[in-house]
Amino acid sequence: MFYHIFKYRLKVLLRSKEMIFWTLLFPIALSIFFNLAFSGLRNQDSFNIINIAFVDNANDPNFSEAINSVSEGEDRIFNMIRTDLENAEKLLENDEISGIIVSDENITLTVNSSGINQSIIKSFIDQYKQVTSTATRILSQNPQAAADLPAEIATRISYTKSDPMGKSELDIVLNYFYALIAMTCFYGGFFGVEEINQIQANLSKRAARVNVAPIHKLKSFIYSLSASALIQLIEITVFLTFLIFVLGVKFGENMGLVILTTFIGSLTGISFGSFIGAVVKGNENTKTGVLIGVTMIGSFLSGMMFGEMKYIVQTNAPILSYLNPINLLGDAFYSLYIYDTYNRYYTNIAGLLVFTIIFSISTYLIIRRRKYASI
Amino acid sequence: MIVEVKNLVKRYGDLVAVDDLDLEVMEGEIFGLLGPNGSGKTTAINCILSLLKFDNGEIKVFGKPMSPEAYDIKKDIGIVMQEVAVFNELTVYENIDYFCGLYITDKSERKKLVEEAIAFVGLGDFKKFYPKKLSGGLLRRLNIACGISHKPKLIILDEPTVAVDPQSRNKILEGIVELNKNGATVIYTSHYMEEVEQICSRIMILDNGKVIATGTKEELKEMISLGEKITLQVFEMEDTHMNFFKTMENAVSVDYDGKFLVMKFQKGNSNLEQVLDYVKSHKINFGKIHTEMPTLNDVFLEITGKELRD
Amino acid sequence: MPVFKLCLKIFKKNIPVMMIYFGLFIAVSIMMITMSTPTDQTGFSVSKARVAFFSEENTPLVEGLKTSLAENADFIDIEDDQEILQDSLYYRKINYVLRIPQNFTADFMTGADPKVIKTSIPGSTSNVYVDLKIESYLNTARMYLDLIPGISQEKIKSQVLSDMAEETEVEMLRRDSSGSETGLMQYFFNYLAYTFMFIIIMGVSVIMLVFNDPIIKQRNSCSPFSTTKINLQIFLSILLFTFFSWIVLAGLSLTFAIDEIPNFNTKYYVLNSLIFALTSSALSYLIASLVKGREAMIAIANVVTLGSSFISGVFIPQDLLSEGVLKIASFLPTYWFVRGNRMISMLMEKSGPVFDEMVSSMLIQLGFAFGFFILTMIVSKKKRSV
Repeated sequence: MFYHIFKYRLKVLLRSKEMIFWTLLFPIALSIFFNLAFSGLRNQDSFNIINIAFVDNANDPNFSEAINSVSEGEDRIFNMIRTDLENAEKLLENDEISGIIVSDENITLTVNSSGINQSIIKSFIDQYKQVTSTATRILSQNPQAAADLPAEIATRISYTKSDPMGKSELDIVLNYFYALIAMTCFYGGFFGVEEINQIQANLSKRAARVNVAPIHKLKSFIYSLSASALIQLIEITVFLTFLIFVLGVKFGENMGLVILTTFIGSLTGISFGSFIGAVVKGNENTKTGVLIGVTMIGSFLSGMMFGEMKYIVQTNAPILSYLNPINLLGDAFYSLYIYDTYNRYYTNIAGLLVFTIIFSISTYLIIRRRKYASI
Repeated sequence: MIVEVKNLVKRYGDLVAVDDLDLEVMEGEIFGLLGPNGSGKTTAINCILSLLKFDNGEIKVFGKPMSPEAYDIKKDIGIVMQEVAVFNELTVYENIDYFCGLYITDKSERKKLVEEAIAFVGLGDFKKFYPKKLSGGLLRRLNIACGISHKPKLIILDEPTVAVDPQSRNKILEGIVELNKNGATVIYTSHYMEEVEQICSRIMILDNGKVIATGTKEELKEMISLGEKITLQVFEMEDTHMNFFKTMENAVSVDYDGKFLVMKFQKGNSNLEQVLDYVKSHKINFGKIHTEMPTLNDVFLEITGKELRD
Repeated sequence: MPVFKLCLKIFKKNIPVMMIYFGLFIAVSIMMITMSTPTDQTGFSVSKARVAFFSEENTPLVEGLKTSLAENADFIDIEDDQEILQDSLYYRKINYVLRIPQNFTADFMTGADPKVIKTSIPGSTSNVYVDLKIESYLNTARMYLDLIPGISQEKIKSQVLSDMAEETEVEMLRRDSSGSETGLMQYFFNYLAYTFMFIIIMGVSVIMLVFNDPIIKQRNSCSPFSTTKINLQIFLSILLFTFFSWIVLAGLSLTFAIDEIPNFNTKYYVLNSLIFALTSSALSYLIASLVKGREAMIAIANVVTLGSSFISGVFIPQDLLSEGVLKIASFLPTYWFVRGNRMISMLMEKSGPVFDEMVSSMLIQLGFAFGFFILTMIVSKKKRSV
């Protein structure tokens, strides 16, 4: 009997185009749009070598050397062009360079707008001037230092040591994809809604028909739910594979846990859909409407449309981020990617399991009823 | 006794959908439940199937109390619901196989049964079709095949012919008679009196949830006082003749519209004879003559004061 | 005009669904208002990185470091908790975590070259920026330490700070030409593209689904109205619906940016959105003639509107989209609508290159509208002959 119901359920679900669209094709389409749209956002604050023009009117060899030293080699800060003022201004106007350094008796900077690149150029010139000031001061206080001074100036010791926190490079775009995969898991709720529809005799004629067959209602529910769960798990695996191998979304090193998380999330999603199917009054369109609506609000709060939203909720209304199962799921992926420890991950997973249990028990309490007040 | 219902009461709020219904279906009969839309036929069926909670009453099927868990009872019931309940994503064959499989686990046996059911409803050319491609009549036939493929002892058909073309309807009715001949007991609900008259061995008439009458069609017609209706095509009618007809012993009503004389009589044996004698003896020139016995509609009309179909 | 009246009835029936999308538009717009902090900038100002500063010792040298850093950094007060710091870094609430370990000063003063510990977003600009400042302060301090024997910590601090007060003069080549660029109106009108397209596609397809039903088509062709007349009436009702939605959405956008209405470019925003409205309804007409079934229509409407909005810069500014994406997007009318809005935001006068670009963006949209219309004609001709 299990095989019979399971097999036909698979056939029905796989042939239902609408279902496959919402649970698989739509998320894939969204992920492609994300990928196209966010590729720029990803590079937004990464450091790009700054283009500058240098107008050397003073022929100051020291400054010339200083500016050369930061405009050469792998670690250079600037791409520098030596040119005349007129040409430099043209370049600046066309936004081809960020600033013009003019060296007369005084060194000045000309820019087009305020920004971090411009600030960096300014810092560099400041520093050069500061070194000059320092050298003058030292010589006035200790004339004997003159011999050592050039070597001291040339020595640049690095006093900073990097202590990378966590294991990853804090790619801000990833959270969009985490929220998206969380949404996809919850779109598995479409299956839940559909399964309830197929077993509650007061919701559909086919359910009434199956209810009069000689088979235990809960058993047939579980049999056909297994088919739904299988499809959802396959779809989410396909989606995950697509994200990882086609779009190159990073999930951290622990692939096993990532897959486990998608599976747990899918189950929460299906139980969530069943819960809506059982609790919400109205026809199937209303139910899927509620499902999409709630999922979208949840996804929004976990940063799917606007990345910072998740952080805003987390810092201003932390309770809301725990009460939002989609955020728990998105945050579980985030925790796996960002943190070295698993505490927060386990908290998220525990939260998801609690939700799954609440949804399942509520669903059970409603569908265990075998006779209906009205059909 | 196949089905036994005692004192069944089902209320929806203030509305009493089934009001103290008693019902007995014997083995081997085609039992008709006749009544207008909303008379409580489907509600009664759903109570019998244990789909609906009811407020009072007792229901036994195959002599055993019916409940949602009574799987040994359910496996011998075949149900054809009023609305088509098939999967649009499954083909004709798959749909029948699916529903059959809920009763029959043995694969080879099921294969045979499904093929038989397909042949029975005449869908042999449409096995691979999806329901959306089927016409209304064919879809109804598929719905029936899904209900009866497992050869149940009791078949319940709830208005299986609604919105079906005459050809399909005849095919369905013939099929039901055949199923009955093969040993199945049938409960058949309808608001088409002709169908019920045509195939049912015993009939129960429902109105507003109440049983109005039960019996064979002959018994039902005996219950009412109305006899035959005689229609005579006459081209001229004198008042004296009219008076004669009006004063005939059993006459209930006599009307003449300039073409046809319509006379309704109470039960009596010689109504037609008397009319013919009079017409001949007075040399009244007449065309067609036509006589009708009362229908179930007349039965319904006389008992409830309204037409079966509105 | 019975067909026209029927169309209006069908629209009326679908008002609740449309309301959801109008509601969504209003919600997002309100969010945008509360989120945005318009930055008024005149002249050059130094960018500041957001730094979390933790020091395990409090010495003059460290104090000096903090003082000099303050010029290029805002110090963010935050709990020293790994998870909180990581979250804040991820969401760019802070760009840089700086830790001064214990004995740093002592080691420094003995010439041991100790290190401060930093955590930053690898490869980010702010990383380079803050590093530059820290290294500069400490290297200068080292020079004093090495070259002036017996110099005190206090003295190092004060001298380095006074050295670092040396500042470069910065000139702005030209003031940002667009005084109103920070205005919100551009964003409201941009976002309108998403809502508008969805509503129009859904609305038009609802009508077309009814009239493309083969039975109704046959029925209609038996009626005393000619096909042209029927189509004309359908088209008229679609136009009316488009116009109505446009009034609502453009009206909402204007209401939200009520302060900016007196601006010179407001009328161009309105004009651009009207053109986009026409283009969208032409596109909807095409989609409706290609796609069958309500479910498929909803799917298409979702994918087309979300897709075109994402890659055309409705949700994410066009500056942040890569060139390849924008190249693809330039095959969509939404791209030209958004581009038009951007030009309008920079518009100062009724001529010049910006004005010309705006006009060409509008013309390209009209071209799209015309193209969609022609395609629809071809498609429906082909369908009829089949």
